[in-house]
Amino acid sequence: MSAAVTLWSKHMVKSIHNQMEMTGMLIQPILWVVLFGVGMGSLLGPSMPGGEDIYITFMLPGIIALTASGGAIAGGSTWLNERLQGIVKEYLAAPIPRLSILMGNALSTVSKGLIQSLIILIVGIIVGANITSNPLGWMGGLVLVAGFTLGFAGIALSMASSTDNMGAYHSMIMLLNLPLLFLSNALYPLETMPTWMRIGALINPTTYVVTGLRYMLLENGAEFAKVDTIPLWLCFVAITIFTALGMWLASSAFKKSLK
Amino acid sequence: MSEASKNNLVIEARGLVKRFGQEILAVDGVDLAIEANTIYALLGPNGAGKTTPIIMLTTLLEPTEGSAKVAGFDVVMQANDVRKTIGVTFQETTLDKELTGRQALNYHARLYGMSKDQRQAKITELLVLVELEDAADRAISTYSGGMKRRLELIRGLMTDPNVLFLDEPTLGLDPQSRARIGDYIVELKVNRGMSVLLTTHYMDEAEQLSDKVAIIDHGKILIEGRPSELVDQMGADVITIAGQGNRDDFIEKVNDLSCCETITTGNGIIQIGVDSGSRRLVEIISLANERGFTVEDISVAKPSLGDVFLKYTGRQFRD
Ligand SMILES: Nc1ncnc2c1ncn2[C@@H]1O[C@H](COP(=O)(O)OP(=O)(O)OP(=O)(O)O)[C@@H](O)[C@H]1O
Ligand SMILES: [Mg+2]
Repeated sequence: MSAAVTLWSKHMVKSIHNQMEMTGMLIQPILWVVLFGVGMGSLLGPSMPGGEDIYITFMLPGIIALTASGGAIAGGSTWLNERLQGIVKEYLAAPIPRLSILMGNALSTVSKGLIQSLIILIVGIIVGANITSNPLGWMGGLVLVAGFTLGFAGIALSMASSTDNMGAYHSMIMLLNLPLLFLSNALYPLETMPTWMRIGALINPTTYVVTGLRYMLLENGAEFAKVDTIPLWLCFVAITIFTALGMWLASSAFKKSLK
Repeated sequence: MSEASKNNLVIEARGLVKRFGQEILAVDGVDLAIEANTIYALLGPNGAGKTTPIIMLTTLLEPTEGSAKVAGFDVVMQANDVRKTIGVTFQETTLDKELTGRQALNYHARLYGMSKDQRQAKITELLVLVELEDAADRAISTYSGGMKRRLELIRGLMTDPNVLFLDEPTLGLDPQSRARIGDYIVELKVNRGMSVLLTTHYMDEAEQLSDKVAIIDHGKILIEGRPSELVDQMGADVITIAGQGNRDDFIEKVNDLSCCETITTGNGIIQIGVDSGSRRLVEIISLANERGFTVEDISVAKPSLGDVFLKYTGRQFRD
């Protein structure tokens, strides 16, 4: 565990010292909320009962999920970079559990994802989203975000362990990322979708993190969430399974790359 | 082998084989028995299979066949114990260039569980050794190639390993740094009892530093011994001839001479180990004329490890 913490701290220190990365990490979620949330809100809001602010509130969990998956993708490319530059050899020769090498990366990805989620929530409040003031709601929400980020980070890490080409990695992961966002209830309620899309959305972990976040984080979140008829407990179960699946994929791909 | 001498072996390998896919046989049955507190050098042309055994001995890849022990621990079954006792400098850089030199050393030592005080003391000591104190707080991306090499070398020493693996440690260093690093490697052996397995592209370095060398090519060890033993096998002097004409006939006749201990033919160059170069030179030139072989260049020199290398690999060292 201490090795994972060491690697986590190394990644965090590197990110903090990298001004460009820091700027992007902090500005990107703000842009999403302001440009997408507010923009779409003024476009779609009037058609929703309750108007513009409702759409921003509805959208915020989706933006968090999107940002989390973006962070996971970045975590995967950090890993691929370390493999390509031979940095991983230093870890492999050290007396540390193999899994802690992956954990260090996953932990830093989750930390950054949580920081970004908090920024999104705060900016969301500023632009008028109705976020709960219940600390338990925030805690539960962050747990869901952490689980979702870990699961997605696992997928990204497994892909980054299976290729030696940055371009290939990015095109593969984009292929996954797009349906993960659009084939979910992040942007529009399930009931507005055609059946095939709804089926897709129901096997998509994004749907569960988004629904769960609506329950936990939004003022009157249950009102938003229940239109999709997914209970809260199912969100936590689904995200737990997704986390486990992602971690399993990552560790088996990593072990294979050591052969 | 008696039990006592067996226990004195710090690296033991039996029938080590490494395949990459179906086609590539990188290591083809290597046996090693390296005694504690010695410096052992692997020599061989590019692609000979010097790095791959090191990769297996340092537990990064498992052997396809065979087994190996480092410091008494099996490299597969007891990999973590092996890792605790070794230090490694890989051939290709493994530095994270976004870190400063000091950070790189510090994180490395943290992975090995060293305390903060230990780390700081060691970092200061080693930075001075390779004269990187002034650059220590700069990003590694601003270092020259030689500075990176020196940093990587001391990183492997941070944890005071018992066994040190150095894959071409002095590659890209200027002669002054090379000499300094060479002295230090010897000092590590003499004063701290370390055992060192290194590969190098510098013959003089191998000859000066190592207690034993092995010449490896096509994944096999061709010969092993003390550098002086290997050189002595070549004869007192070596006559090196380049030329054209009836080569095979000439070589055959030279082989018949009683004075001539070795013949090597690689890259069109003929090497003859003789008991006395100055005395045999005339004899050999007239033999060449007699046999219709035109000598274009001829020289006499004391044999070196480079000549041994040429003899066994059929290639000049710089190939
Ligand atoms: N990861 C790998 N995949 C496929 N082939 C490999 C791999 N690593 C090494 N080889 C092959 O194995 C052989 C031995 O390689 P190795 O790196 O051990 O040679 P070397 O003696 O260290 O060479 P050099 O002096 O150039 O460093 C080479 O033919 C090389 O192409
Ligand atoms: Mg090599």
